[in-house]
Amino acid sequence: MIIYIFILSLILALGIFALASKDLLHSVIALSAISMLSALLFTILRAPDVAITEAAVGAGVSTVIFVWAIRHTQRRDKEGS
Amino acid sequence: MKALTHSKIILTILILGLAILPVILSDAPWPVQARDYLFGNAKADTGADNTVSAIYLGYRAMDTLGETLVLLVSITGTMSILINLGRHKVDEEAVTFSLEPEKLPRHSLRTNLIEVVASKLGPIVLLFGFYVMLYGHISPGGGFQGGVIVASGIVFLALGTELKTKLTNTIVLSRIESLSFLFLMLASISGVFFESGFFGNPVKTMQNLSPNFIILLNIIIGMKVGTSIAVMCIAMMGGSHDH
Repeated sequence: MIIYIFILSLILALGIFALASKDLLHSVIALSAISMLSALLFTILRAPDVAITEAAVGAGVSTVIFVWAIRHTQRRDKEGS
Repeated sequence: MKALTHSKIILTILILGLAILPVILSDAPWPVQARDYLFGNAKADTGADNTVSAIYLGYRAMDTLGETLVLLVSITGTMSILINLGRHKVDEEAVTFSLEPEKLPRHSLRTNLIEVVASKLGPIVLLFGFYVMLYGHISPGGGFQGGVIVASGIVFLALGTELKTKLTNTIVLSRIESLSFLFLMLASISGVFFESGFFGNPVKTMQNLSPNFIILLNIIIGMKVGTSIAVMCIAMMGGSHDH
C-alpha cells in the first residue's frame, strides 16, 4: 500500500511539473517518466499487458512524437502568454 | 495572472486526486464470479492459454474488430490532413535544440542523440515486438501490444538511419496495413463456413481447440497496428522516407 501511494504521489508531482515547466522538453521528459512509473504500477498490480502497452506507447512513440513537434515549433514557453 | 492559473490547475488536480482516493484505499473484495469462470473455461472455449487473449480474440472478438476500425478511421483522417498540409513546402527553420551541423538541410530531421540511440535500439525493439505479437496466446501481450512495439521499432529505424529501406517506406507500409485489414475480415468470416459463427475458431478438433486461430489473429492485428502507427509517425515527421 505504501508503494502505491509513493508511486502515485510521484506521478502527481511529475504531472504538476509537466504543467508548470517553462521548458517544453522538460515537460515531455516528465510525461515519459510518468508513463514509466505507470508501467511499473501496472506490473506490480499484475497487469503486464497494460504495462507493455503503456511503456511502448507512453514512453516510446508519444515521446518521440512530442519531441518532433517541439523541434518544429518552439522549445520554450513564451513569457506572458 | 499566470501563477494564478497554475495554482488553479494544481488545486483541481489535488481535488480530483482526493476524489479517487477512497477507490484506491478501499478494502472491499472484488467480484470473483467472472474471474473464476474464465479461469476454468477460457482454454477450453477459445484455445488460448492467456486469458486476456482468450477474452479479446475469443469471447469479445467483435470488440477487437471495432477497435481495429477505430484505428483505421483515425489513421485515415490523420493521413488526409497530413497530405493536404504537405502540398505547401514548409522550410525547416525552427530547429531549436540541435547542434550547428544538424542545421544542414540534409540533417534537418535528425539529431546526433536520436541517431546514436535509435539506430542501435531499433532492431532489438523490432524483435521484441514480434516476440510479444507471436506469443500473445501464451504470455502477456498480443496483437495490439506487439504491434505498437513494432511501430516503435520502425519509427526508431526511420529516425536513426539514413538508409531508405522498404521497412520505412510509407507506401509499402500502408499497403501492408490495407492487406492485413482485408485478411482480418476474411479470417473473421471464415468461422461462418465451419459452423462456429462470426469470429468463431474455424479449426475444430475433438478435445481442445488449437490456438492457431488466435495466433493468426494476433499476427494480423499486430501487422495492422504496427504498420498504421508507423506510417502515421513517419508521415508526421515529414515523410522523408516516402520514396
